[in-house]
Amino acid sequence: MPVLLSIWNLSIRKAVMIMEFLSNSPEDTEDIGRILGSIAQRGYIVCLEGELGAGKTQFAKGFAKGLGINEHITSPTFTIINEYNGRIPLYHFDAYRINDVEEMYEIGCDEYFFGEGVCLIEWANLIEDIIPKENIKISISKDMEQGVYFRKITLETSGEKYEPVCRKIIEKWDIA
Amino acid sequence: MTKVLALDTSSAVASVAVVDNTKILGEITYNYKRQHSTILIPMIDRILSFLDITVKDVDCIACSSGPGSFTGLRIGAATAKGLCHGADKPLIGIPTLDSLAFNMAYANGIICPIIDALRGNVYTAVYRWEKDWLKKQEDYMAISLEDLMAKLKLYDEDVILLGDGIFAYREKIVEMLGSRAKFAPVSMNMGRASSIAALAIKRYEKGSFDDYMSFVPFYLRKPQAEREYDKAHRGLV
Ligand SMILES: Nc1ncnc2c1ncn2[C@@H]1O[C@H](COP(=O)(O)OP(=O)(O)O)[C@@H](O)[C@H]1O
Ligand SMILES: [Mg+2]
Repeated sequence: MPVLLSIWNLSIRKAVMIMEFLSNSPEDTEDIGRILGSIAQRGYIVCLEGELGAGKTQFAKGFAKGLGINEHITSPTFTIINEYNGRIPLYHFDAYRINDVEEMYEIGCDEYFFGEGVCLIEWANLIEDIIPKENIKISISKDMEQGVYFRKITLETSGEKYEPVCRKIIEKWDIA
Repeated sequence: MTKVLALDTSSAVASVAVVDNTKILGEITYNYKRQHSTILIPMIDRILSFLDITVKDVDCIACSSGPGSFTGLRIGAATAKGLCHGADKPLIGIPTLDSLAFNMAYANGIICPIIDALRGNVYTAVYRWEKDWLKKQEDYMAISLEDLMAKLKLYDEDVILLGDGIFAYREKIVEMLGSRAKFAPVSMNMGRASSIAALAIKRYEKGSFDDYMSFVPFYLRKPQAEREYDKAHRGLV
């Protein structure tokens, strides 16, 4: 089972909430993704950050399941974007191979960012300039001293639209 | 007699028509979800079979050449190119904004099609009907709605607005132009393949075609200032 470590509400100035989780296996990471996927709404932007092999795609697999998608999910490293149809459409991006944000404009990224589905963006930090500033950021980090399966996962929501997210996660957490 | 099969998938609308010089033989238009990649081919198939013809029986294939939805334009262009290649027919690309303005044939005043380019921007051009032809007053551009309104204020006459931008920006437009803003009726306010077809027939009869092998839709660039603004807003500059 993943561990819910802490919750911070930094909404004094702007609506920012932070949750921290510990994951001890790929399945734990998927579980956290699945919970977020199950509460995701149209227009949500979820940014995934963390080094190669951190578990971004692992998280995405769970997220897709949470949206009711049963297809096999892989990193769209070469295609940049994959579309899936779940409860709502999922637009799964991988910005690893993007050299210039202009390339993102060329694939029509705004149509997805402001579209009818949820955007899940691996390596979002590489294209930070063009991502709507209100979003959910998931940062996954390893700590080898804690073991090869250890991951710390931080979720940060910015913007009023995402205010219910943390509360809903806790509700789902209690049921799980 | 010229007969054309036209496609328009440049916006949320997916539209297919078969048109000749005198009439629309058939037209199917859906504005429901963005599902162009799954419905376009069945729509073409259906219209051809109801008309008892095949792609071989038309003189050319027409599609929207942009600007508009990147994904939509690519689906339309790829489909049109494939049909041209398979049936050995010429391709004619028609600018989306021209075809929208053409919906308002012989109207008085300025005609301003606006396509929502997101983040407060529009793809637009300004037209006036002169004698028997649409005359562009301002070339195709991607600009902020505010800048467009400033341009339109300089014209001292009614402005007919149409295109999907009128849904996103209607209130702001009325605020800026007041009663001079006239909105096209629902039957005319979105792209229609028959408008693409009508313009394509004119080009066909002049012998003006695009090369289907090298044809690509044009995507207008967004104003740089707007991107800088975004950056500044995020505290990056
Ligand atoms: N706790 C964990 N969470 C996620 N992945 C883990 C974990 N422990 C080990 N792994 C392994 O790390 C790898 C993560 O790969 P992947 O999700 O493709 O990374 P990324 O997409 O971030 O490059 C997988 O091989 C997975 O089995
Ligand atoms: Mg990956």
